[in-house]
This record gives sequence, structure tokens and C-alpha cells, in this order.
Amino acid sequence: MSDTTVPLESQTGHRSLLLPDEKLKKRRRSETWFKMLGLGAVITGLFFLVILIASIVYNGVPAFTQTYLTIPVTLPAEKLDKVGNRNPSDMRKVSTFGYKPLLEQALIDTLADRGIEMPFDDAGILADLLSDGAAAGVRRQVLDNPDLVGQTVEFDLLASSRIDGYYKGRVDRASVNRGMVLTSVHLDVADALKEEGLVERRFNLDFIIGADASDNRPEQAGVGVALLGSLFMILVVVALAVPIGVAAAIYLEEFAPQNRFTDLIEVNISNLAAVPSIVFGILGLAAFIQFANLPQSAPLVGGLVLTLMSLPQIIIPARAALKAVPPSIRQAALGIGASRNQMVFQHVLPLAMPGILTGVIISLAQALGETAPLLLIGMVGYIASNYPDGFLDGFVSPNSALPAQIYEWSKRADPAFYERAWGGIIVLLVFMLAVNILAVVLRRRFERRW
Amino acid sequence: MSFGTLFLAVIAIAAVAFALSRRKVLGLAQGDRRRLHSLPHYHGMHAMLLAAVPALLLLFGWTVLQPVVVDRVAVSHFSGEKYDTSGERSLAMSEVRRVAESIDALVRGGKLGTSELETLSDEDLGRELDDTGIPVLSDLPPQIIDSARIYRSVSATGDLIKLGLVLLLALAGAAYGYSAAHPDLRARNRTEMGVRGLLVAAACVAIFTTFGIVLSLLFNTIEFFRIYPAGEFFFSLTWSPSFGGGSELGIIPLLWGTLYISLIALLVAVPLGLFSAIYLAEYAHPKFRSAAKPLLEVLTGIPTIVYGLFALLIVGPALSSVFGRGGMGWMPSDTAVITAGLVMGIMLIPFVSSLSDDVINAVPQAMRDGSYGLGATKSETVRKVIVPAALPGIVGAILLAASRAIGETMIVVLGAGAAARMSLNPFEAMTTVTAKIVSQLTGDADFASPEALVAFALGMTLFIVTLGLNIVALAIVRRYREQYE
Amino acid sequence: MDAMAHTDQISMSQSETLTEASDNKIAARSVDVFYGKNHAIKNVDVDIDDKTVTAFIGPSGCGKSTFLRCLNRMNDTIDIARVEGDILLDGEDIYDKRVDPVQLRARVGMVFQKPNPFPKSIYDNVAYGPRIHGLTRNKSELDDIVEASLRRAALWDEAKDRLKESGTGMSGGQQQRLCIARAVATQPEVLLMDEPCSALDPIATAQIEELIDELRQNFCVVIVTHSMQQAARVSQKTAFFHLGEMVEYGDTEKIFNSPEDKRTESYITGRIG
Repeated sequence: MSDTTVPLESQTGHRSLLLPDEKLKKRRRSETWFKMLGLGAVITGLFFLVILIASIVYNGVPAFTQTYLTIPVTLPAEKLDKVGNRNPSDMRKVSTFGYKPLLEQALIDTLADRGIEMPFDDAGILADLLSDGAAAGVRRQVLDNPDLVGQTVEFDLLASSRIDGYYKGRVDRASVNRGMVLTSVHLDVADALKEEGLVERRFNLDFIIGADASDNRPEQAGVGVALLGSLFMILVVVALAVPIGVAAAIYLEEFAPQNRFTDLIEVNISNLAAVPSIVFGILGLAAFIQFANLPQSAPLVGGLVLTLMSLPQIIIPARAALKAVPPSIRQAALGIGASRNQMVFQHVLPLAMPGILTGVIISLAQALGETAPLLLIGMVGYIASNYPDGFLDGFVSPNSALPAQIYEWSKRADPAFYERAWGGIIVLLVFMLAVNILAVVLRRRFERRW
Repeated sequence: MSFGTLFLAVIAIAAVAFALSRRKVLGLAQGDRRRLHSLPHYHGMHAMLLAAVPALLLLFGWTVLQPVVVDRVAVSHFSGEKYDTSGERSLAMSEVRRVAESIDALVRGGKLGTSELETLSDEDLGRELDDTGIPVLSDLPPQIIDSARIYRSVSATGDLIKLGLVLLLALAGAAYGYSAAHPDLRARNRTEMGVRGLLVAAACVAIFTTFGIVLSLLFNTIEFFRIYPAGEFFFSLTWSPSFGGGSELGIIPLLWGTLYISLIALLVAVPLGLFSAIYLAEYAHPKFRSAAKPLLEVLTGIPTIVYGLFALLIVGPALSSVFGRGGMGWMPSDTAVITAGLVMGIMLIPFVSSLSDDVINAVPQAMRDGSYGLGATKSETVRKVIVPAALPGIVGAILLAASRAIGETMIVVLGAGAAARMSLNPFEAMTTVTAKIVSQLTGDADFASPEALVAFALGMTLFIVTLGLNIVALAIVRRYREQYE
Repeated sequence: MDAMAHTDQISMSQSETLTEASDNKIAARSVDVFYGKNHAIKNVDVDIDDKTVTAFIGPSGCGKSTFLRCLNRMNDTIDIARVEGDILLDGEDIYDKRVDPVQLRARVGMVFQKPNPFPKSIYDNVAYGPRIHGLTRNKSELDDIVEASLRRAALWDEAKDRLKESGTGMSGGQQQRLCIARAVATQPEVLLMDEPCSALDPIATAQIEELIDELRQNFCVVIVTHSMQQAARVSQKTAFFHLGEMVEYGDTEKIFNSPEDKRTESYITGRIG
């Protein structure tokens, strides 16, 4: 082998640079292919993002409007105020069921008035156009303003979810029968009412601030209470995870000696960062609810679980931010006689603050959207229909959380809740976006000061 | 005194200690700060920490532990076969707590004086409770009412002792801090030691958390294996829990579903993520990169519940319309392995791509120069130099993604189906370890039954698998980073 | 001869510099290089002979490395770099639109400042170039090229028993010789060396210098160095760069003994640099 003289340099000769050969063309082709594959991968990823966002917007935006039927309702005094003194506490005795016939009558009258044929034998079937909650709405308004009794007043009555869905295009004639409540005849009436201009679609504030509703009233379900639950949980996380996380990061980065104990802490943190969130749910269930007897479904427990989950997510970027502060700053501070603590808290920490804040905010946003652990501590299956009684009560009284509420709706049988779930996602994402914007603003502030 | 008030009281004592000590040292130094060993506020903080930290620690510890102790005491009053198993006892205990709360409500409402309560017979008390409309069992066994009384009295005593001890500790700390305040006191050093102690404590929370996870999994898993044979759990091929008893709880079908879904997720995420990372790191114009990268990363920021809904309501039906009854006929329902796997894959794309991006960027420029200098094209450089050089890091990234996929819950709960099945058909519904943890612990099962406890054994398995994957992955990534540092 | 005729044919339309340049391996005419707004190389003309060692010397930041990187278009990989003027290799403009830098770099190899063997086996390192350019028909031909290249880089005796071991496990000097072997294996005509000894100890440096002298037999070698002694030892021609300009170019002996320009003299005698 050593004898063979390989013509190392003669072979190439002087092939012109200007004429690419076949081999090169082939290489260039594979180059192009490779590049296209990469571009294709990026575009596929972005395509998925677009599809995801489009589905959310397309399916979720309708949740922010709600259909009402504008119907004049006669409020006879002999039925609503038997005592006759217009005193709300006496009128309270008439329950929602007392109002129902009034609405039924009002609908029949309206149809007759407008010359629409009444297709049903029973007024009750016609009243299925309205939400079960419509009567309660009228009752509330009457109790708020007792003078309405005895008059005929135009009310905006909440339409049933299927009628609402029909106007929004979610429900059509083929699918309306599935719920066994409405028939396509109802839709004929609905069309006729719309032609008469009695149908109104308005912004649905109740969806954002309202409480969840039971299974048969999807048109009344709102995220408000669950949103409060999320808020209380985040408060717990902010109050606990942020100081503990930052303190731990400071210790590990600035004070910890190189020893087994420090290693143990570091290994623990990096492993906790990758423990599946459901396992934290198990921890919450076993430690906080089983062992410490904290109340189920309480935002406090949810907040504690999320705190433990967020800690590594806060510690790791906070350490990186502390590490990024140049050593010259430390030496300068120590050089003029500052103690280590003074150096850290007066010089290093303020400089690292923007980076720390970024990590904190990202972890808060993550905590806000976390669902799995909340399932195990009972924040799902609970119908969040009551607002907490006060600030402290907000932490311990049972509640849901925004993502848990979305999950809850996605499990319900009536597809009308899906619209709510998508709408809830929009609220959740807006909430997360707000948190992120807050982060950017805070970061700017801190950066300007230094 | 409630927790909040007591907490504020301690804080107030500490604040007073701060102000007094600060004034004292300044007074002793005749207002000349230069005569002090430490700045005045360090003297204040010294007293403040002494007053607040031990008292608050006691307050938290006591608050957490007292209910546990009270429970033990109250439980010990149960006897008879009705309260044999731990499940029955815990059920009875929650009843006791409810009764105790109702009695509290009665007392608070003024309907019942404390002295009255002492003399009231159990039957009368039961009737009183019925009248309040607070939902309690209509005919309360005397044992429960008895226990509830003990529960209340022990709790009350505990609360009283807590109040006394906490306040005493706070005052003692404050007093000691105040008396120790002296211009020569090395207050700064002592305060700093105190602060450092707090920092150490914060760092230790991570260890406690791991401990908590391991303990809570371990105890319940042991409990589970005591009433259910471990061999069947690990080797049985059937998963069919029935809450009436006689369940078969084999983990293998769940593991199969988990791995199958994770595999599909990785088949989607790894090529797309890796090629995206390569394109963005090596080819993309800086402007394109700076726009595309954060956009892709939006996908990681989206909560998993959103992906779950996406799988359930968009991807499932879409796949079903092609492969389901209307199309190829392979897919019996919207929820399927492929649905969950695909959506999970989408979620993991940016995860794989940003981790790969990091490792690709860690390959030194000199490697690229060396390759280009020999006349290699970009793709040749990427394929033959950069990817092989970054391979350990990329493998680490893939392992981390796998561990994510295995531990992912919401997507599979909503997208994969509920039936435990072992099939090769990706269009069939299967279920996973995480999904079953959720369903076993959110059902109505008695907490002491094997059907509920199995969730802890599943959780333990999940914890060990993901932990193993992570340790391996992190070790690989770390060694890889060191290679180029 | 055939090839020369071919070259002439193509370059007929080119300027008259061609005839002037055709004796030289590389000819640069009024080359300017910009990094963004920074004018890094100013109007450089140079002719580089085949089968000689040409050294570029000058103080740090004078543009000698930048200019070297122009000769095989390594500056293409930097987005903000812009090259103006003509650089001809065998009379062909290497910045012509039709020229693929990949093909160019196969003919103009490069060895870098810091040894940068790939994290592969020694064998795979050397075989890298022949493989990507498809220079061999079978394994035994590749084996031959690897052996010949390692021999040429004076590394065969040290490496023959550990061809399967990683190239990154060798000593610094060995790594740099491996990089030279790697460059030689693609069978280039020109070898560019960018301060190839600056990361090496004196013994390794001596070995590399010896090697460079041998390479001159078969290649046109261009070396950038900050060490004047090294330039004096290994090169036949020397170009002195200062602040982006090529101040003086000529036989090494003349540059070192009787420089014409003041600046060259100052640099040689150690007053600037």
C-alpha cells in the first residue's frame, strides 16, 4: 500500500470553475432539497399555529355574543304581588315558576300580534325557545323595580342555547332535533321572529363576569367565578413561589458552597422541573388534602400545588440572570468594603432583576394555564356558581379555575358548552397575554433605572 | 384569634421591635452613627428577625400539624366494626368535622351558648343540628357527636396553646433583641447570618418537595400493593376497574397506550422540530429567524388544555372524516391514538426545535469553517459535521421530549379515549397512565379502595420513568455541553 | 495544455490583466472588502506564484486574514461582508456569478488558526473531503488517499495505528497536521493557512513549518502569520499589510533586508505592530 503513489494533485487538472460538473449539480440539487425540507418544517409548524389560532377564534368568538328575544311581557299584579303593597320581600314569595306562564303568554301574544302562526298546541313547547333562565331574569328585574308590576314591559329575554346557536350558524335544521327539545318548527318561528326584528344579538358581558351554570343552561354559563379562582391561585403563587424561588436562586448562585448538599439541591431542582404536572397533583391530593386536611377545590390548595410546580421554573432562569451579572460588579462592591449580602442585594440583584422578572412571568403564565394537577385536587366537577364572600374566603371556599372550567365544559354533553370552552380559551389566552405584557412593561421599568 | 390576625400580630410585634431597638442603639450612641458597629437599621432588623422568624415558623408548623393531631385524637374514640378499615374511618372523620363545623356555626349564630352545649344530650344536639338545615346525616350515631365534641374541645385547646406560644415566642424574641441591642453588637453580621439562613431554607423547599412527592406516592403505593397483588399490576394484560370490586388493574395496556401515543408524538415532533431548528440556525435570513422563532415558540406557551380541546373538537373530527366511517373506515371514533399523538407532536415541535437549536448553536463555528473550507455545501456540513457533533445533545433533547410526552395529561384525557386497549391500529382509542390517574382519582371511588389507590401506583411508575429519562437526558446534554466549553 | 487553451477561450473577453496574470496561480486586482461600513481591505493587487510559499504579514487587524479568506470565498459565509475587484484563479474570476464556491474551495483548501478537527475518527476526518466531492470509486482508493494525505502531512507514522480513534483526542500539533492532511486530501491546488501555528507550542510549530516547506513541492501555499521570523523561515514571497492596505510585496529576502516602504521597515524592526 505504501508503494502506491496516488496522483494527489495531477488528477484535478485545471477544470474550469465556470463550468459546474454533473457531480456538483447533483450536490446542489440535494442542497436545495435539504433547504426546502427545513423551510417546509418551519412552515408546517407555523401552519399548525395558524390552524390552532384560527380554530380558537372561529369557535370562541361567538361565546362573546348572546341572543335575546325582545318580547313585551304583561306583569299582572294579581299574580306577582298578591299583597298589593309592591314590597319586594313579599313579592319574593312568587318563585320563578310563577313567572314562567307569563312568558309563555307573552310569546303567544307576540306571535298573534305579528301574525305569525302558532304551530304548537302547548305554550310550554313554544317557550322552549327561551332559556330556562329567562324567567329568573324577569323576576330579578321585577324585584329590583317593583313598580313594573301591573304594566306591560318589553323585556330582552335570553334565548335558549339552541336558538342562539341557530342564529350564530352553529345549529342547523338537521342537528336541532338531536337535543330532543327543539324541532325544526321552532326554527321556523325563530326565523319569523327575526324577520319581525324581535331578535337581538348583544355583547355577552355575563360570559366574562358571570358564574357557571348547570348542564341545561349553557346560554347562561360564564367564566367569571373561575376567573376569580385563577386569580386567587396566582396570588398564592406570587406570594410564595416568587420570594422562595428568587431566594433559592440567590443562595445557590451567590452563597452556596461547593458541596454534596448544594449538589443535592441542584439535582432536586433540575429533576423537579421535569416531573409531570399530574404528579404534582398527586402530591397536592396526598399532602395538602389527605394529610393536612386543607379544603378540597380551594384556590389555596391549587395555589400551593402551582407554587411547588413553578419553583424550578423560577429558580433556573433567576440563576441564569444572576450568573449573567459581570463579576466586575461583584468585585467593585466587595472592593469598597461591602459585605457579601450588601453586594448581592444592593448590586447584583437589581442588575439581574429584568432577567429574573422574565422567568417569573413566564412561570406565572404557565401556572395560569396548568390544568392537570387541578383535576386531582377537586377543581373540576365542581360547578363554580358562587362568588367568594370576601377576600380571605376567596382562598379557601371551593372554586374552579379558568383552565379547569374549560375542561369541565369540554366534558359536558351539550355541544353548546364547547362554544363556551373555546370562549374560555380566548379569555385565558388574553389573560396570559396581559401577564406577558405586564412583564415587558415591568422589565422596561427596571432596565431604565439601571 | 384567626390565622390572619395572629400573623399580623406577630408582624406588628416585629415592627415595634425594629423601631425600639433602632432607637435604643442610636440613643446609646448619642445619635452618632459612627459609634455603631453596624448601621442603625441592621440593629433594628436584628430584633425584628428574632421576633418574627421563630414565631412565624411555629405558627405555620402548628397550623399544619394541629388538624392531624386532632384527627388522631378524635379517631381514637371510634370503636366497633363499623370503623374497621381506614376508608370507613376517614369517612366518619369527615362527618365528625362537618358536625363540628355545624356546632361552631350554631355557637357563632348565638343559638347555642357554650355552657348549654356542655349540658346538652347527644339527641338534643342532633335535633338542634337538624334544625339549622346544615346538611348532616339525619340520625347521627352518638359516637360521631361524641367525637365531634372531643374534636372541638381539642381544637379549641390547641388554638389557645398556639395563640399563647406564638405570641410568647414573638415577644421573647423581641425582648431579647431589644436587650441585646448595643452599639458594639455585631448586628450586621448577625442579621446577614439570619438572612442567609432564610435563603438556605428557601433552597431546601426543592428537597422537601421531592420528599413530599416520594412519600405521598410511596405510602399510598404500599397501601395499594397490600390489597392488590403487585404481580398482577405489573404483568396483567387487562385493565378493567369496577368500583364494585373484582377489578383487574394491569398496567401493561396503559403503558402500551402511553408509549404508542408518545411514539407518534415524537414521530411528528422530532423531524419537524429538528429540521426547523436546522433551517432557522443555518439557513434562515436573520429577519425570518427573528420572526419565525418566537412564533413557533408560541406553541409551547399555549396551555395544554387548549391542545386537548383542539384534539377533541378539531383534529379528532377532521381525522375521523378522512379515516373514519365516512372515509377509510379505520377509525371508529374521534378520540384515538393518532389524534392525541398528532396534537402532542404539534405541541412538542418548538420544544424539540429550541433545544436542538441550542445544541446546534453550541457546535463551534470552527467546525463549520473547517467543513466549508474543504468545499462542503451547507447541507453536507449540517448532515456530516454539525448533526453528528450535536448528536448527543439532540438525543438528550429527544429524551426530554419523550419524557414530556409520557407525562402529558390533558391532551390524552381529552383526545385519546378512555378504553384500555392493546392494539397496533393507531386509529383506535386507547388510554394512558396519566389519563387513568385522573379518572381513578376524580371518580367517586372510596379513597381506600384498590381502584383509587392504583392511581398512586400508576403515579409512582410515571414518576420513576420520567425521572429516569430526565436524568439520562440531562447527563447526556451536560456532557455534550462540557465538550465544547 | 488542453486545460490552458480552454481557460483562454473562456477568458478571452476578460480584460488584459489576464495575460499578465496567467503565469500566476492567483491574481488579485484592486480588491476592496467591506464589513458593513468598515472598509477592511483597500485596493489590494497581488500575484501569487504556484509552488511557492507566500506569506502575508502585518500587525493584528491589518486585514491579512480577511484577504486570505477572500481567496477561497470564505467571506461568503459572513452576511455583511462584501468583496469588490477581481480575484483570478488560473485566470478565472472566482467571484464570477457562475462560480460555485463549493467547487472553488475544493481547489483552494484552507487550514485555520485553531486546529479544528471534526469530532470524528482520524480516518473520517481525512476522508471527509474526498467523500463529499466524490473523488473515489471504492474503499481502497479512499484508503490510499487517506494514507497518502497523512503521509504528506507527516502524520502517518503517529496515526496509522489509531485511525479509528477520535481526531479530537490528539495533541494540538497533531490536530493541526491532521487538519492539513484533511485539506490535502481534497487534492487542492492552493493551500491557504491562517496563522496555522499560533495555537501551538514551539516544537509543534517547527514541525508544521517543516511541513509547509515540503508542501511547496506540490501546492501553492499562502500563509498568514503574525510572526516575522516564521515568514522569513518558510516563505519565498512576502506581502506586508497595514491598515487594510498592502504596503509592500516581493521576495521575502528583499522585504526583510531592504524594504522600500518606511512602514514595512518600522514593522520589521519592531516599531509598529
